[in-house]
Amino acid sequence: MGVVDAEQPAVEPHDRIAVSVKDVSMVFGNVHAVKSASFDLPKGRFLTILGPSGSGKTTLLRMIAGFDRPTGGEIFINGQPVSAVPPHGRAIGMVFQKLALFPHMTAAENVAFPLKMRRHDARRILEKVERYLDLVRLGGYGNRRINELSGGQQQRVAIARALVFEPDLLLLDEPLAALDRKLREEMQLEFRRIQKELGVTTINVTHDQREALVVSDEIIVMNGGSIQQKARPVDAYRAPSNAFVANFIGVTNFVEGRVVELAGSRATIEANGLHLAGLAADATLAGGKPCAGAVRAEQIRVAPKDGHLDGLETVVDGLVVDCIFEGERVVYEIRVPQLGDVLMRVFDHDPESHLQFGPGDAVRLGWNARDMHVFAK
Amino acid sequence: MRTPRAAYPVTWRVMDMLERLAAAVWPSSFQRGLPYLMLLPAVVLVGLLVLGLVQIGDTSLRVLDTNTFLMSEDYTLANYQRVLTENFFATVAGRSLMGSLIVTAITLLFAFPYAYLMVRTPSSALRKFLLVALFLPFFIGQVVRAYGWLIILGNQGMVNEALGLVGVPPMRLLYNYPAVLFGLVQYMLPFAVLMLAPALTAIPNELEAAAASLGAGWVRTFRHVVLPLSRPGLVGAGLVVVTLSLTDFAIPAILGGGTQDFIANAIYDQFFRTSDQGLGATLSLMLVAVGSILVGVVFMLFGAGTLAMGETRK
Repeated sequence: MGVVDAEQPAVEPHDRIAVSVKDVSMVFGNVHAVKSASFDLPKGRFLTILGPSGSGKTTLLRMIAGFDRPTGGEIFINGQPVSAVPPHGRAIGMVFQKLALFPHMTAAENVAFPLKMRRHDARRILEKVERYLDLVRLGGYGNRRINELSGGQQQRVAIARALVFEPDLLLLDEPLAALDRKLREEMQLEFRRIQKELGVTTINVTHDQREALVVSDEIIVMNGGSIQQKARPVDAYRAPSNAFVANFIGVTNFVEGRVVELAGSRATIEANGLHLAGLAADATLAGGKPCAGAVRAEQIRVAPKDGHLDGLETVVDGLVVDCIFEGERVVYEIRVPQLGDVLMRVFDHDPESHLQFGPGDAVRLGWNARDMHVFAK
Repeated sequence: MRTPRAAYPVTWRVMDMLERLAAAVWPSSFQRGLPYLMLLPAVVLVGLLVLGLVQIGDTSLRVLDTNTFLMSEDYTLANYQRVLTENFFATVAGRSLMGSLIVTAITLLFAFPYAYLMVRTPSSALRKFLLVALFLPFFIGQVVRAYGWLIILGNQGMVNEALGLVGVPPMRLLYNYPAVLFGLVQYMLPFAVLMLAPALTAIPNELEAAAASLGAGWVRTFRHVVLPLSRPGLVGAGLVVVTLSLTDFAIPAILGGGTQDFIANAIYDQFFRTSDQGLGATLSLMLVAVGSILVGVVFMLFGAGTLAMGETRK
């Protein structure tokens, strides 16, 4: 430590970085699974890597865990390069997709396993196992065999086993993907509670955008092996950095057109002869270039054909094609002839007006200019 | 009429006809009996063996009259007394039992890494090579293979010639106990690998990754995860190898050259050399008994060897 004293101010912030991924690439044969990914994750944060299957998110996680060695770049954990360190030499707790609990051991033996492997004091192991089983609300279940536990209980054992040795980092490889929806949402909140309680730095991988928004402090959206955006959930949702992110998170309608005017953050696009005002959300936008305007389904308001949509800058006419009742909301699919027959999806969350339109009804839709993000195509 | 015909292809028509036919011949009320009916051939085959066993039991209770070469009319336990008291039989039985246990231990030791590599290798070419190498010896019968070893290990065999080149005098590599055990291990290895492979396949790769992430190096991953979980496969493979080696005939006969008889060789001698069918039958029954007890003990210890997951902790 003494040697770096002179550089103390410059080094100081690095102490708070738990994981640093620098230009990491992974090539399998001729498949570029991860293309020079870089990010820093401060200690104690909950990061979710979100992306469709084949986006490279699991490969990135496996490299951090040490199961695969990057073909390029370096990963630092607590400032130390780890490419040459095998998985059992890293202090990383991992919850696997299929949980990977040891079927020949009881719940308590599973949780005790990492402590025994790390040669902890045998007397303290029991006490620690007890404490972590309590943490995941499985007190008293220690003597059960794994196949005697329900799916949710097995999840909890897997979490306890990954945390009991107080790892530097917790990795979650889509462990919730196989659960039914209700249990999944319950476990998402559980993950969040435990993570906040212990303050352990966590990286979660999922293709479930809702899970990413619910549990994370930060989101990384990946596609085709590249990081598309790294942002807080609310920012990734409100200000997606490109059309892929806008499409992947939330339900988004795209209006294709051409840029006619750029003035500061305001962009005007021409689509099917109509001029629409929007927010320039992409630095590569240029006049005359093809572009896409993205509007969230919940930002669009619907009114009867002769109704008024006061205060909305863009108003178009449409024809209801389908109306889907989803319980807490109604989804209208509306064809807009003025925009080249594009099909737009609109949410109606107002319980008073549920099912106010049916297929075939002529309606009017409108949205604010600030709610249409314009991206280069 | 054209459209329905197109929507009802010939193959469906044929299948429907067959199903109607089957329904006429075999009404659905008989369906419950079908599984039992399919069991019948196997039961008949095993039943025949049991009948043979009764016959052998009968023979074992008669002694050979050396003057007339006829079996005695009366039942007697004289054969059993001979087998249990004469030193020769104790030697043969001890040699067979000890041999089969040693062969089993060595075979499992060799078969495990082979099966593990075959199951876990990411290279499909290597997997295919290992599989072919495993099956190739099956195409060569046991006797032919034993003769092959005679050629290789004989006094003028390849091994001794090679040793001669470096100045080592010829060694007697055949007609001794190690030669028989060597031949048996070589013969049993494919069986053991084939029994182990499915058991190892059933252990998810993820468990080993999990053990690694939890701090276990490969030695401890093997000891605490892979080995306990492959126990059903090890028990199954061990049983097959023990019973096959205990009852083997050709390899002790050929590689032992008559000096290293196993129980099966002794039985053969009684039936076909001295024609003492009574003594042969007695030896056969003792062999069946020893084998059954061995299997029974293993089953009791390991729970039928199939699902060892549900019990005894490690």
